[in-house]
Amino acid sequence: MPIHDISYKHWDGVHLGVWHRRLAIARHGLTACLRNKWMRHAVVLCWGSALAMTGLLFMVGQLLVADSVVVQWVGNFNPGLQSFARLLTTWLEQHPEISVRTTQNVLFYFYCALLLRAGIFILGMAVPLLITQDLASNAIIIYSSKAVSRADYLLGKFSTAFGLLAMAWLGPVCAAWFLGNLLTPDWGFFWHARAAIFHTLVFGLVAMTLLSLLALGVSAISSKEKSTAAIWYVWWILGGVVAPIAVKTRPWLQHLSFNYNLEQIALAIFRPAEDLTTARESIPILGEMLRDVSTRSMSALSTPALWGAVTWSWLMVFLAAWIIRKRVKPE
Amino acid sequence: MSAPSVIETQALSKVYGPQRALDGVDLKVAPGAIGLLGPNGAGKSTLMKCLLQLQPITSGSAKLLGREVGREGREIRKRVGYTPEQDCHIPGMVGCEYVTYCAQLCGLPFAVARQRAHEMLDFVGMGQERYRKIDTYSTGMKQRLKLAQAIVHDPEIVFLDEPTNGLDPKGQTQILELVHSLWQTYGITVVLSSHLLNDVDRLCEQIIIIARGRVLVHDTLENLKARNRRSAEVVIDGRYQELQAACASRQWACEPLPNGHVKIAHQCASLNPLLALLHERKLAPLEIIPSPNALEETFVRALELSHANP
Repeated sequence: MPIHDISYKHWDGVHLGVWHRRLAIARHGLTACLRNKWMRHAVVLCWGSALAMTGLLFMVGQLLVADSVVVQWVGNFNPGLQSFARLLTTWLEQHPEISVRTTQNVLFYFYCALLLRAGIFILGMAVPLLITQDLASNAIIIYSSKAVSRADYLLGKFSTAFGLLAMAWLGPVCAAWFLGNLLTPDWGFFWHARAAIFHTLVFGLVAMTLLSLLALGVSAISSKEKSTAAIWYVWWILGGVVAPIAVKTRPWLQHLSFNYNLEQIALAIFRPAEDLTTARESIPILGEMLRDVSTRSMSALSTPALWGAVTWSWLMVFLAAWIIRKRVKPE
Repeated sequence: MSAPSVIETQALSKVYGPQRALDGVDLKVAPGAIGLLGPNGAGKSTLMKCLLQLQPITSGSAKLLGREVGREGREIRKRVGYTPEQDCHIPGMVGCEYVTYCAQLCGLPFAVARQRAHEMLDFVGMGQERYRKIDTYSTGMKQRLKLAQAIVHDPEIVFLDEPTNGLDPKGQTQILELVHSLWQTYGITVVLSSHLLNDVDRLCEQIIIIARGRVLVHDTLENLKARNRRSAEVVIDGRYQELQAACASRQWACEPLPNGHVKIAHQCASLNPLLALLHERKLAPLEIIPSPNALEETFVRALELSHANP
């Protein structure tokens, strides 16, 4: 027999606003994703890579500063490298803006592209948990009967995907930028490296929005969890396989890969080709090293297919929106 | 002064392709325990879904709790609870977590939501099983959970779509008692959709019979019974032969029932002639149940009429 009052009680408190309800949906989605231990491990690995990147930035920062501990330590083993570092230091003193900007912009371009793959992989694990599961269990009816609209529900689910990407991708990249520059001998690096973080944030927001919308669309295709996950991974992998083959035959086919489109957008935002050219022209030693970069590679880096990528990305978003509109209904 | 209507519809219609699921429904329903009756495919669930905006209305208008359906969706649903007929839980969640989440979706702060979730789970009679994953629940537990999620945010009206489906008799009784207390004790309007006439008879004060998308009957149960006061069940301790003879003297059909009661078709608008006869013959009944099958008879007659006039 219960020892406490189990009768019905009325509640006369104040209801929270609709943003709290959307946040509740997003938080529930993230919690559900992070219950999967493989996803947790993958996110931890992403943050591990951020620590590695921080270490790399620390080393680069030390090489760019006169009489730093690393330069002196390197000198014990390789006097040539020490001379190179001192040259860089001198050049840095003359062009601090260019050296830090160039180095970090190129580094973060590659780091973003690398970690984006991890983000897409993790998002693939989350795809069945976004809408698929709700379709399978009729939970859409429960959402629809509560004080949330279909738009609120979708916004909550979008925030789940966006939050997961922020946790696995943009978060580690930004943390690496902050910690890497915090550990440099001169905090003026923060200012000189502003382009890298700005480009990272712009590309991050664009890519996260696009990927989250596409993930929602794929998640709404079927009510079978394995199917939607498989569709995501197959689309990603096939895109990666088709894009290089299609270059010589039908270049527009490359745009069927969302990853290729994102790469083109990243190239347009970071413009690493300009930095490489600046570095080649401004630092003679670096110019020697970068001479090996082929003209074709430089051309690919300097002329991204931006408009094609944007147009096809929009088409993909429209397709995802159409699928969601058709599938996410109470019945 | 009569209470304001909780449900108001005017020429409400809902069309699915060539099929007209609701056909010009006009209703004005006062607060209380309301039974929504009808055969399968009559339009009961569609009416509920249109009122909750789970389905868009094709034409006409509807007001729920004084607010226009279709314009103030969130505000309406903040004050409304709903238990769908089918299972619709969120996989991987434990019971109390699920009810807490449902409360949050209605705008309750997390701490309040969690507290109310436990209170409602207590109310519906769920014990430690609330800490188990919903996927492992029996049908009875799922029905209780559905009721808990529907009332966790303290709604003013609750729509219950076949809440006793799949329950054993004991479970049915428990759920019906809980539902009964919602209106009788706590003043929450209950709209109970069911094809089980007994459930509705036990709980509801108002009856809406719907078939082929049209409202055939909307009245209080008392009025319906008054209209059908042509028979009664009498519980009598022995002396059946004497009762039979008394009825024969008035040419009333008298038939013993398997439960020991005696059904008398007295053909009168009130029970007074029957009571007078029993008094005259010195037959003291233990109980008299007036119009025991009034609802069923009304239901069948309404359906027959609807089939006769399609």
